[in-house]
Amino acid sequence: MAVHQLIPSFVAGDATGQAALHLQLLLRRMGHAAELYAGEVGSGLESLAHPVSALRPTPDDWVFYHHGIASSLSGLLMHLPCRRGLVFHNISPARFYTGTPLAEALTSGRAQLAAMAPFVELALGVSDFNSAELRAAGYRNVHTVPLFIEPERFALSAADPTQLRRLEGPIPTVVSVSRVAPHKRFEDLLALHAELVRLRPEARLLLVGGYEPGSRYFKSLRRTAQSLPGVHFLGRLSHSELVAAYRSAQVFVSMSEHEGFGVPLIEAMAAELPVLAFGAAAVPETLGGTGIAFDQKHFSFLAELVVEVTGNVDLRRRLLQGQARRLAHFSAENSQRALAKALGEATAPRPPARRPSRKPKRPRVGIVVQRYGQVTGGAERHAQQLAEHLAPHFELTVLTTCAKNHLSWENVFPPGLDREDGLPVLRFPVTRTRNIRPFNALSNTVFNRPNDRLREEHWVAEQGPLCPGLLTHLETERDSYDGFIFFTYLYAPTVWGLPMVADRAVLVPTAHDEPPIRFGVYADVFERPRALMCNTPEEITLIQRFYPKHARTRVVGVGVDRPKASPQRFREKYSVHSPYLLYVGRLEPGKGIPELLDHHRALRERYTDAPVLVLAGEAHMDLKGEGVRYVGRIDEQDKHDALAGALAVVVPSRFESLSLLTLEAFAQSTPVLVNGHSEVLVGQVERSGAGRAYQDLESFITGLREVGSERAALGKKGLAYAKKYSWPKVVASYQEELARITEEKRR
Amino acid sequence: MKLLGRDIPARELIARIEERLRLRGLPTSEAAEVPEEGVEPRVDPLSFNLQALEEHTDPAQPLPLHTHRGGVGQLVVVAKWAFRKTCQVLINETLARQRVFNGHVRDSYAQLSAEVIRLRREVEELKAAAKTPAAPPAEPPVVPVRPRRPRAR
Repeated sequence: MAVHQLIPSFVAGDATGQAALHLQLLLRRMGHAAELYAGEVGSGLESLAHPVSALRPTPDDWVFYHHGIASSLSGLLMHLPCRRGLVFHNISPARFYTGTPLAEALTSGRAQLAAMAPFVELALGVSDFNSAELRAAGYRNVHTVPLFIEPERFALSAADPTQLRRLEGPIPTVVSVSRVAPHKRFEDLLALHAELVRLRPEARLLLVGGYEPGSRYFKSLRRTAQSLPGVHFLGRLSHSELVAAYRSAQVFVSMSEHEGFGVPLIEAMAAELPVLAFGAAAVPETLGGTGIAFDQKHFSFLAELVVEVTGNVDLRRRLLQGQARRLAHFSAENSQRALAKALGEATAPRPPARRPSRKPKRPRVGIVVQRYGQVTGGAERHAQQLAEHLAPHFELTVLTTCAKNHLSWENVFPPGLDREDGLPVLRFPVTRTRNIRPFNALSNTVFNRPNDRLREEHWVAEQGPLCPGLLTHLETERDSYDGFIFFTYLYAPTVWGLPMVADRAVLVPTAHDEPPIRFGVYADVFERPRALMCNTPEEITLIQRFYPKHARTRVVGVGVDRPKASPQRFREKYSVHSPYLLYVGRLEPGKGIPELLDHHRALRERYTDAPVLVLAGEAHMDLKGEGVRYVGRIDEQDKHDALAGALAVVVPSRFESLSLLTLEAFAQSTPVLVNGHSEVLVGQVERSGAGRAYQDLESFITGLREVGSERAALGKKGLAYAKKYSWPKVVASYQEELARITEEKRR
Repeated sequence: MKLLGRDIPARELIARIEERLRLRGLPTSEAAEVPEEGVEPRVDPLSFNLQALEEHTDPAQPLPLHTHRGGVGQLVVVAKWAFRKTCQVLINETLARQRVFNGHVRDSYAQLSAEVIRLRREVEELKAAAKTPAAPPAEPPVVPVRPRRPRAR
């Protein structure tokens, strides 16, 4: 069954949205298809959350509604024809807001909470305190599923350097994080600060959180703050700025008089900041005996306490050690255990489907790949070749999308069962096409900087392809497969689908050093499968660098076919009569084609006898240039003919996990000239001794000259290297890994 | 004042801080407002909704003036106030039918919610009755034996 979530508002910076994303992650790890539906979807986040009108649950599905302040979705939940659940984030008591429009919405939220009770099968409180309120409101089946935190996102390395510099300052600095609202008692923080500056005149108070500049409450705080030195209202911050604020302070203080959980308390713990908090509502439960909870707001006393915690090294160390232990309680694993218990499932895999207990003759294996068939792409071709070679040994089904173009993901192939070269291919439609320009703009805002989970998930969703049908298939049919082979770490079907079947999945990551590999959302992809089938030792080193807790790795690579080729045939067919450099593959900026064209133009300007540049493949850019021949997409035989006749094959991409083109060139005894910024390509050239690497125009020219003059000798070395890549070896590796999975499953 | 925390020598810490406060001539304890403890009580949805409908039936009644913006927001508040002051007659006229409609909604809700409460009570009574053990069947009435009429020969 699918477990969907319904939230009133899904916008950036909202704690409920973050909680829903976390829950979605856990549900996928538990094997459920899990989509988000929201009453209000923040601008640009449509790829992550669907509008409520799209919610069509089946009677077996669960829908969990996140309840807080009054929302019309509570009425919707009561009428949904499915199993209904509720996640309670608590509601601020209306007594703090008497006389404001908010008071009624808060009381109304509590009335809705009670009204939903008879219609909800399972209620989840994010703390025992919230669970107690659920019981008081009339709920029977109540479980506590705590929120969790990803501590690495609060490390110093995740802090915005500019904000860190801006917030540099004298000690002691106190930070408090929450939206500016009456029950958070910011006036008490100011009172504490007033006492603190008597002891330490240089003390600072950093107040992080959204505020309403026009509200009476904020204006009164502002007036008070103006009479005090060192008070900074920082407003709402981005994630990396928030981390910088935590990391710029010595103590975290909360004066809040109502917290249903208190996320900033555990964020502060993750940012290695001692926590002092007024012990209201769920605060003592969240602290769990760590940090310091106080029961009275005796400000001169608390100011002395802040000084003590700041300056007493031993006390500080003990506090931080205790908090670090407490933090482990708020791990994804703990939350998942609680959630599994609540849903009445074990976290262990579900009982296997009715299949014979004897070892099956041909295990059934699903190959999950973003595109398949008549498409251009290294990973896709890799998947296709592997499928063809594994077919005699396994009962294969390729699970893929209807997309042909990886830039737009437009549905081209018909959905449903198809056959490619005799193999069953099950295609699922993509629900959202991609517009590459806004996507590139988004990439610029998230690459090479720390992000919160929402921003990274958003990027993955925009990257696509969004294919909920494929995820549903994985959920409902997982037990009919003995194993899965996922292709490429990068795309949404892998990021969201692999965790659903991780216990029986291997991944062919095709990883290379590109900005998104640093995203924390990819941790499950590298850490949860049974094995990572890598292409080169460099790829393993790369994965090790970013994911030290990665799954077992092995270098498998691909086999290389060596069909007979005729250079003359290519020359005649395409009228290429002079020496040529060759590139075959996707022709787009991401593959380094503009740089190659620049180098070639410069080469032609310097040398009149410079070789022609022949480009073959699907073009996604303008390819004009003197001496540039674009021959379009060519078939396999033409490709091998072209490779055999080339002076050298150029591989201009910086991002490669294994260049099939390089190996195919070697197989035709043709040397290569590769981009020296790619560790993988450099490694291949060094190990084979069959080419040169370039890093700029000069090394491009030098490399070309050397490759041209030693073509025969280099080509011989290349052929010897290519012979090591044989399909029987590759197939044996997959057989071994998949046998391990089926064996464990049978046991 | 109580300090809670497993990792701190609470008593020693309190004593040390109180000593410092004494040296500074400050009181070591202050009267503090202790917030209400415990979970929030259940809000009965039927009576709350009825009360809320009653309160908001008349759409011509203004809500409290409010803005979350600074600067221009204050001007907006003044403009809203001026509009209400000068145009109340127009507002009343425009929303007259809405007021009547809202009254019907309120009355319907009042009737339906009262009906729900009555039905719930009846269900509870029936459930309770079903739970109580059934009384043993009554003894059959003793029928006096009629003397047989002698057969005619």
